Amino acid sequence: MSETPVSAATAFERPLTRREVLKRGALGGTAIVFGSAIGFAPKRAWAAEKASSITIGTFQDPALTPIRDYFNGLFTKETGIKVNYHETSYNAWYQNAKNDGLNKTGAYDIYIMDDNWVPEFAAGRIIQSLDKLGFKVNPDILPKGVQQGLWPPKVGAKMKAFAKDTPELYAIVNIDDVEILYYNKDYFPKAPQTWDDIYRVGKKDFKPGKLYGWSARGVKGNPIVQTYLPLMSSYGANFVNPDWTPGFAGPEGVAALERLFSFIPFMPPGVAEFDTSQEVPVLLQGKCTALTEYTGSVHVIDDPTQSKVVGKIDTAATPKQERHGPAIGTFICGVASGAKNSQGALQYLEWFTSSRIQKQFARRGGSAAVTGSALHDPVAVKKYRWLPAIADAINTSIPKPRTPDEPKMEDILGTALNEALIEAIAKKSGYQAIAQKHLSSAASQITAYLKQQGGYF
Amino acid sequence: MAATPYALLVPALLALAAVSLYPIFYGVRASLHKYRYGLDMGSAGKQNYTDVYHDPVFWEAMKTTGKFVLLAVPIETLLGLLLALLVARELRFGSWIRVALILPMTIAPVVVGVIWRLMYASDIGIVNPLFSHLGLGTPDLLAHYTGAFLGLVAVDVWEWTPLLFLIILAGLHSLPQDPIEAAQVDGATRLQTFFHHTLPLLMPVLLVAVTLRTIDAVGTFDQIFVLTGGGPGTSTQLISIYSYNTAFLFTQYGQAMAMLVTLLACLLALMIPAVQLIRRNSRAAS
Repeated sequence: MSETPVSAATAFERPLTRREVLKRGALGGTAIVFGSAIGFAPKRAWAAEKASSITIGTFQDPALTPIRDYFNGLFTKETGIKVNYHETSYNAWYQNAKNDGLNKTGAYDIYIMDDNWVPEFAAGRIIQSLDKLGFKVNPDILPKGVQQGLWPPKVGAKMKAFAKDTPELYAIVNIDDVEILYYNKDYFPKAPQTWDDIYRVGKKDFKPGKLYGWSARGVKGNPIVQTYLPLMSSYGANFVNPDWTPGFAGPEGVAALERLFSFIPFMPPGVAEFDTSQEVPVLLQGKCTALTEYTGSVHVIDDPTQSKVVGKIDTAATPKQERHGPAIGTFICGVASGAKNSQGALQYLEWFTSSRIQKQFARRGGSAAVTGSALHDPVAVKKYRWLPAIADAINTSIPKPRTPDEPKMEDILGTALNEALIEAIAKKSGYQAIAQKHLSSAASQITAYLKQQGGYF
Repeated sequence: MAATPYALLVPALLALAAVSLYPIFYGVRASLHKYRYGLDMGSAGKQNYTDVYHDPVFWEAMKTTGKFVLLAVPIETLLGLLLALLVARELRFGSWIRVALILPMTIAPVVVGVIWRLMYASDIGIVNPLFSHLGLGTPDLLAHYTGAFLGLVAVDVWEWTPLLFLIILAGLHSLPQDPIEAAQVDGATRLQTFFHHTLPLLMPVLLVAVTLRTIDAVGTFDQIFVLTGGGPGTSTQLISIYSYNTAFLFTQYGQAMAMLVTLLACLLALMIPAVQLIRRNSRAAS
């Protein structure tokens, strides 16, 4: 049967000939085979590439710069595993990591996190158990840093739903961030040991507008809580007791807040609005005798472009009253639940937390390494005098409550502390009553919130 | 074939439904669910609403939002009207003045927040030295409840008065001139002309401008987030900030959506009579 040209209008109006069926079938079959080959081949190549690479996601922070700029490249050089490193803002990264982990999209292998994300990420299975993956913890890592990655926590209050679970390691610390005391050696010949020492010098040397006895982060929320925690812990109070009842509204917590208020006469006037970007420059301009802050500020105290007191600022563990009690807030790494290369991620984490690499990390810029040997390494300490203070602070640190509801608890306490500070600045007296009123209010609100959430009492 | 025009609208309607209706539906659904550890734990019934309505901080945030809108929007409207009346006349360099007046509106709200944060800062800002120079002491605006709140209103007025100005100016240019000219011919003073002729004719435009700006003001977020974070205390914590914190900081998505659904209901309750008023005024003006 000869074929005649077919128009679109007639194509579907007459039955197909046997030849047309055979032609179309052959064409279609070829397309399927060819298309599959094209489709699978890149996937195989992609899969092979993925096995030899890992993707790390993180929030931007100057403390992570050496990792981004040097250590990732070193890992690739030593292992052949390529490291893709993606960073974004803190809030955006928190959401990205959570979405990636909850949906197991596999965009990342490692999440660099803030340590207070661990309870939620572990409980929500956003990150995998490092214990189950076979991660080997370097015994040289300071124990309190390791504890930040356990879920449920080993010490402190535990949520009821997890009370009987064996603590497993879900994340491993990669930067030992902790609060330390920064003090100006011109006014403290040796490291102040107690808050009374700070008060004495502050009162003696205070000159309005020229020299303050203390600088602090007073803005509501996390900043003022970080200011208060070393005081609170050193006076023997707790954020929460082992039974989840707030532990800061008793005599110890009130006394700690009173001590902070006692510094008001020799703090900068606008301290109630201060965050790190305002608190630290007061010290760097030589206008402050001492303050407490996280380790990130060590990188600017000797930077002549930012500091007028190069070589004059030293560091120590935060002062004590009954005990030292700096707040610990590490950078911590977890393996994503949908990681495409879990073993590669594990290899990276073991490599980075090894004593050898941590020594390099400490020697390169005085970063807050996680191992004892790095923080006491003579070569590193000679150049970066703050490293032993970081080790002391980690060993005496006290973690915040390990629960996904910690941010809300911190917000409640932070708002109350800010209001208390503002009232104390305005009234200039009656500090004990002001402290008691606001801390009691915060304690009631936190208790009510935890009851509403359930799983605590 | 009579259905063809409607059929051609379907793709656009689907797109609109995807970006408008679906999020609202999903939000309402989320407000009826409990979330824990980032996971949807199933239906919570009306528990989220009960928890939110028993939360004094929520009511405080709603009150602060109301105070903010009731203060900022009238000031912006009045200033916008005055500026529009000033510029509506033929002025030398009139176009340059118009451009200069709308510049604040063109800056991203986050950038506006950063700029004013630096200006208000008690250590490096210019507000403290300025006040001190005028013999008014150092206000330390962001360290006081009233100061921070009024400072926030000032930022909003600075940024969004140009929007009202533009809308009202466009309205002024579109007004029929005959009644106004007739009034002037009849010997009416400028004030009489304005209050008895210009303003009534302008009323529909004013109402639209105020309505739009009110909806915007209720959702103010960027500037507050950067400027004060809702502090000091909760003095500048609008519902936008509190619901954001509840969703993304405290991971209570259900409660956050309950707050926002409640806010939506309140806004609808206000906007429906507002729209009816606009329609009535439009009819009266024409």
